[in-house]
Amino acid sequence: MGRLLARLLPGFSWCCALALTAAVATLVWFLLRGGLPAFNADLLFGGTRAIDALLLRRQVFDGLFPALFGTVAMVLLAVSLAVPVGVAAGIYMAEYAGGWSKHLLSLVFDVLAGIPSIVIGLSGFALAIVLHRSFDGRLGPCLLLSALALAFLVLPYLVRSTQTALEGVDPLLRHTALTLGASKLQNIFLVLLPNRLADLTGGIILAVGRCAEDTAVIMLTGVVASAGVPDSMLRQYEALPFYVYYMSSQYTGPEELQKGYAAAILLMIICSLLFVLAFMAQRRLKSWLLYR
Amino acid sequence: MPILSRTLERLFFLAAIGSALLTAAIFLLLCQLGKPLFQHGGLGTLLCSPWNPGHGQYGIYPMIVGSLSIAFLSVLISFPFSLGCAFFITHFGPLALRRKLLNLVRFMTSIPTVVYGFVALFLLVPFMREYLTGGSGLNILTASLMLAVLIAPTMIIFFVDSLQRVPLSYRQAVDALGGSPAQQLLYVVLPMAWPGILNGLLLGLGRAMGDTLISLMLAGNAVAVPTAMTQAARTLTAHIALVMAADFASMEFQSIFACGIFLYLFTALLIVALRLVGRLSPRGL
Amino acid sequence: MFATLKKNIFLSLACLLCFSLAALPAYANDLDLFKGQQGVIKISGGTAHIPVMKEAAKQVMSAYPDIRITIAGGGSGVGIKQVGEKMVQIGNAGRKATDQEIEQYGLVLFKWAIDGVGAVVNPENPVHALTSTQLQDIYAGKITNWKELGGIDRAINLYTRDEASGTREVFWKKALNKGDIIASANVVVSNGAMKTAVANDPYALGYVSVGHIDASVQPVSLDGVVPSNETVKDGSYPVARGLYSITSGEPQGAVKAFIDFLFSPSGQQIAAAKGFIPVR
Repeated sequence: MGRLLARLLPGFSWCCALALTAAVATLVWFLLRGGLPAFNADLLFGGTRAIDALLLRRQVFDGLFPALFGTVAMVLLAVSLAVPVGVAAGIYMAEYAGGWSKHLLSLVFDVLAGIPSIVIGLSGFALAIVLHRSFDGRLGPCLLLSALALAFLVLPYLVRSTQTALEGVDPLLRHTALTLGASKLQNIFLVLLPNRLADLTGGIILAVGRCAEDTAVIMLTGVVASAGVPDSMLRQYEALPFYVYYMSSQYTGPEELQKGYAAAILLMIICSLLFVLAFMAQRRLKSWLLYR
Repeated sequence: MPILSRTLERLFFLAAIGSALLTAAIFLLLCQLGKPLFQHGGLGTLLCSPWNPGHGQYGIYPMIVGSLSIAFLSVLISFPFSLGCAFFITHFGPLALRRKLLNLVRFMTSIPTVVYGFVALFLLVPFMREYLTGGSGLNILTASLMLAVLIAPTMIIFFVDSLQRVPLSYRQAVDALGGSPAQQLLYVVLPMAWPGILNGLLLGLGRAMGDTLISLMLAGNAVAVPTAMTQAARTLTAHIALVMAADFASMEFQSIFACGIFLYLFTALLIVALRLVGRLSPRGL
Repeated sequence: MFATLKKNIFLSLACLLCFSLAALPAYANDLDLFKGQQGVIKISGGTAHIPVMKEAAKQVMSAYPDIRITIAGGGSGVGIKQVGEKMVQIGNAGRKATDQEIEQYGLVLFKWAIDGVGAVVNPENPVHALTSTQLQDIYAGKITNWKELGGIDRAINLYTRDEASGTREVFWKKALNKGDIIASANVVVSNGAMKTAVANDPYALGYVSVGHIDASVQPVSLDGVVPSNETVKDGSYPVARGLYSITSGEPQGAVKAFIDFLFSPSGQQIAAAKGFIPVR
């Protein structure tokens, strides 16, 4: 039995590796085949002139620009909300927390990381109802609410990446500044964090990617099928992942379907660029900082 | 300066405690909004009765069955597959390809879920309909297959990690005794790395259970209790997405909070299970 | 105040000039309803309405960038509840709001088009006609194979809508005679999704707003009457309904302008172009 298994294992392992590669290749090929013809000047801006759309002088109706804008705005908002809190909590976890409180907190953050994104979205929606009732209808599902919910979604990743980054500092380095008389805070901000900047940045970029791809949260907290470019954080908005989801089931003709493919490609390009950036940050940023 | 540092340290503390409290607050919010449900029929009827709003039944039993069967089936498919890929990366692949496959797996984590769903809808669903499952092609098996691909990177990365943490000296000892890589894997590495593998398995299960888009797009969303892999089913997550927009005062709407609470508790239990597994691991592997 | 008024007059004069020069389609002056209006109009609910809403919003927002219109789906039930709770300004519904809903929220209904709900199959399917009894039996799960209906030997893939759908309610009441819909039917979220699902599944049976029927799906005649605008209009096809836009209380400002626009020749033309029967 064991011998047979040992004989079969390498072959099986090869098959799995090939199947995985084939799956990804099929996915990419299929998307490109369906979406590449739609990549032209009209894809983003429809009939509107690009410069008018970019300066927000005119609304875009048949292009992906509002969805792209919505996604970028939402991600920036969510990350700028989440990063300060996440990094601060990460610093606390790595440098201050100890004993049972550290165990309990890290358990709680693990639970938070595991909560399905739709449940986070549901809580955001519930919050919107409560707000709507108490503020007489002026607040409802909107860009800000989505960003808040998304910030919450990526918070545990930021805490965890900051914490592991700080805990990974060489003990020698950790104590050098302290023995020279630096305060704990000086040590954190002038030695530990700069030393781990690459890991930190990598964690943040991955959080950005997580925000950009999520569909379940925004479905419940303010994304709509058609909204144009939002002019305030309290507006409903369009977003790329939702556009892909919407088009997958509700396209009205071949051109719309092609736009759905193109939106999927665009979303994938954004996410993989962010991913490559994170990858490079974790490797190169440190040396880049040193050589500058 | 001391004031500044005191303030900053306070802020760190507040950030950590605040985030933790918010996690608990989510649970309370869900309970609060789902409260009328518990008062009406009690939790038992809710969890065990069917969904039939026309006849005043708002049970989430079909969705629980749907969620669990899709999640477990996808893990069942993905586990051997991921293990095979992990072995390729750690033991069997040519050196040049190992790194490439690992990078491909990492890249897969960055592919948006909705893109997987989109492609599957136009590629996998017609295939399943014509050749494998019959019916509409929107069913448990289709969703599980796609979910298996989706959770594979999570599992593979974890497996590779724990396989590689087995000390080199142990592996070299097998080499020295003339053992093949497969024997080394079966008799030395796997027995030592299993807690890490179990860890990855549970994480994959959590991911599968929590996914919304794949099942919403591919599982058919029927409200009947599924009895076969080839039938359509609705998961708890898809149910939330489908019913979310309904009347705020209605039982339909409140039932989605029951789904939320179930998913929350499932996750929490899973995390505790992960912790216990973590304690099992010998010598910090 | 005075200055902005002046500016507005100047702008609209300029707009008028442009319009007359560019010889835009007729009725362009219907958009004048929005003159001097601004603000956000949130629309949600009925999914049959969406193509009309999108086109109307495009015309309005192109001419008056100060007005923002957001459009979401969800289904008729959602439209009625959300407008009742004042989460949106206009809730769309493909069914009449119940008396209780109207009373509870003080709703005002505007019926701007008439539509039907027709059963549809994939164009490859040879079955093009069903009786009411057959349709009821299919949805009740008593007939499960196309062979029994003169088609090929494949199971019928049933598609239905979620509980919030007005299309479902109308179809259930008037075509299924309030008969059961089997729980194992696939559930889709909108008229658009229904059409797409049936267009992609050769063995599907679904039902969709008549306005959404196009070449990608084959309408199924019910007791010998093919669902189409003509048969709905002359009353021979019984599964008909109004398309409503609903406000909470009498509409004001931009919302009133939007409702009026739907009833204007331009608005009615959009409704007709998207496959519905205009009321005027």
